[in-house]
Amino acid sequence: MLITRRVIIEMALIVAIASTVGLLWNRQLLVASWSGAVQPPALTPGALRLPLPLGLMQVKELFDRGEGYILDARDIATFATGHLKGARSFPLGEFEARLPEFRKQVPKTMPLVIYCNGYGCHDSMELGKRLIAAGYWEIFVFEGGYPEWRDAGYPVEGSKP
Amino acid sequence: MTDSTRKRLTVALRVVLGGIFLYAGGMKIADPVTFAGNVAAYKLLPTFGNYLVATTLPWVELLCGLLLVTGCRLRAATLIGLLMYLLFVVALTSAIVRGLDIDCGCFRQGGPKSSPWVALLRDLPLIAGMLLLLRLDGRRR
Repeated sequence: MLITRRVIIEMALIVAIASTVGLLWNRQLLVASWSGAVQPPALTPGALRLPLPLGLMQVKELFDRGEGYILDARDIATFATGHLKGARSFPLGEFEARLPEFRKQVPKTMPLVIYCNGYGCHDSMELGKRLIAAGYWEIFVFEGGYPEWRDAGYPVEGSKP
Repeated sequence: MTDSTRKRLTVALRVVLGGIFLYAGGMKIADPVTFAGNVAAYKLLPTFGNYLVATTLPWVELLCGLLLVTGCRLRAATLIGLLMYLLFVVALTSAIVRGLDIDCGCFRQGGPKSSPWVALLRDLPLIAGMLLLLRLDGRRR
């Protein structure tokens, strides 16, 4: 078996080129993991990553700090009548159609808070799961949803909030 | 072994091994976060190290696969593949010794789980294939 100096140089070059491409390709993920912004990957093998549930106060804190994106998983008509101030509409029913544009605008490191019509509504959890599958890392679900937020008297907007 | 048989066997080995590398690399590149989780399950590296491995190793796998399939820089690509698999055997063995019940994270991330033993047994023919490829290629020169 012949391992010449040339072969060793070739091997080093192959590893260097491939690693560089990998590092550049995943630079956002690496920066996020270096700064601790990404949650440590689940230690349980093959465990399904799930959106983390957030309570009203935690969502209000994020809202006040202006961190992350708030997504409304309900349909557009319901969104138009009233939604959390500054929330962006992302109806679960239009997931496939809206994802490409969303991907272009929102980096995968961005924390996303998703809500719908409260505890009886599962669209926010479903949207969260699909966004995780689409590669987003920090997904929270505000389980109390729009009703809890509105009843707490926090900022809302829409035609008849 | 005649020259033409040797040539055919070399091509077959190249394409099969290269194809496996391409598939394995591609599946990991598609989901680096889950792969980082699988690397973390081996409990060998710190958090950032897991991400570093998860973001670079699949690309090395992919490039080696590409080189194997095309037959370009064959010796170097095969040797890297061999080293990677030997390293992987060491990691798997350490997981078995420490009694870790983990998914090898070999192909589709978060897909059907394969235990360390299965992964180890699956690696042996691949390692043998690469050694044979190196031998065939060495004789040609």
